[in-house]
Amino acid sequence: MNSIHLTDEMLQAYLLKEFQDDTIASHLTTCSMCRKKLEEYQLLIDSVQTMKPETFSFNVTPLAMNRIVLYEKKKTKKQALVYWGILAFLLIAIASFSIPFIPRILAIFYATSVVATLLVTGTGLAVLLFLLVDIIQQYKAKEDKIFKNNLQPIL
Amino acid sequence: MSNEGNHLSDKAIVTSILNGNIQGFAIVVKNTEKLVTQIVGKMTTNADDQKDLVQDIYLKAYQHLSSFQFKSKLSTWIANIAYNTTINYLQKKKIPITGIEDTLEDKFIATDNPALETIKTETVEILTAEIAKLPPLYKTLITLYHLEELPNKEISEITNLPEGTIKSYLYRARKILKDNINQHYKKEQL
Repeated sequence: MNSIHLTDEMLQAYLLKEFQDDTIASHLTTCSMCRKKLEEYQLLIDSVQTMKPETFSFNVTPLAMNRIVLYEKKKTKKQALVYWGILAFLLIAIASFSIPFIPRILAIFYATSVVATLLVTGTGLAVLLFLLVDIIQQYKAKEDKIFKNNLQPIL
Repeated sequence: MSNEGNHLSDKAIVTSILNGNIQGFAIVVKNTEKLVTQIVGKMTTNADDQKDLVQDIYLKAYQHLSSFQFKSKLSTWIANIAYNTTINYLQKKKIPITGIEDTLEDKFIATDNPALETIKTETVEILTAEIAKLPPLYKTLITLYHLEELPNKEISEITNLPEGTIKSYLYRARKILKDNINQHYKKEQL
């Protein structure tokens, strides 16, 4: 029997073909102890490869996607809040800056006839209403696209 | 959906998601869940913690998807997030990642080889129990290398460890497993 044996690292490297050397092969033919160790490593590696892979008691995809959908909804809400905040601020700012000009604007209406004033006001309101309806419709269409078609969690 | 996803390249999927196709991320989850399960499942045992970790991992991946530079496979990048998130969790819980408590490694005395044929049927069962006793990092490395059959380079990208360190840990883990299995049979023989 040989007095010098192969190290565990050498045996593993040889087995996994990470290291090939004729001296290892020739040693193995003469040393039963190293051969035995090699067989044990072979058995170990074979057994590890036949083990069942880890599984969870829950489904990963719906769980992960639900969290992402929730995150997206929160993000959208936050963005909407910022958007409406900025809009409100702008409206207030514009209104504040407009105060000195209000008497002058009113003076234009007083100068013309009642019919003309009503016509201008009616047209203005109609255009404003039309724009408002259009904005709401566009917003709803976008919301449907995001939440109904895209953010449905996979079950 | 998984099959469809396999045909799409990482770049196509990522671009699609970044362009607003959030549902496309489900393909990414499907394609990577096995690898993520191996990492999280091997390092943690509590089902609730595993649920939280899986959600955190994919949320992080989703939030940082725009920073993915295609230098590695998308699955490797997500596995890296899974590994780091799980390591952080273990560190918070003060669970040692590589520490081996009272292993039989140095105490092992070589005994006669048990009849290999007889032990083959039992070994997988014993091995499963012995792997469960390994430190989290060793368990993960063994799984990634032998079960997922990932090359050392890819494991290195996932764990941020040098390839030499990974090899060294793998040698050590296999030796511990071999010695513990031998010890198990030695006890049975007594």
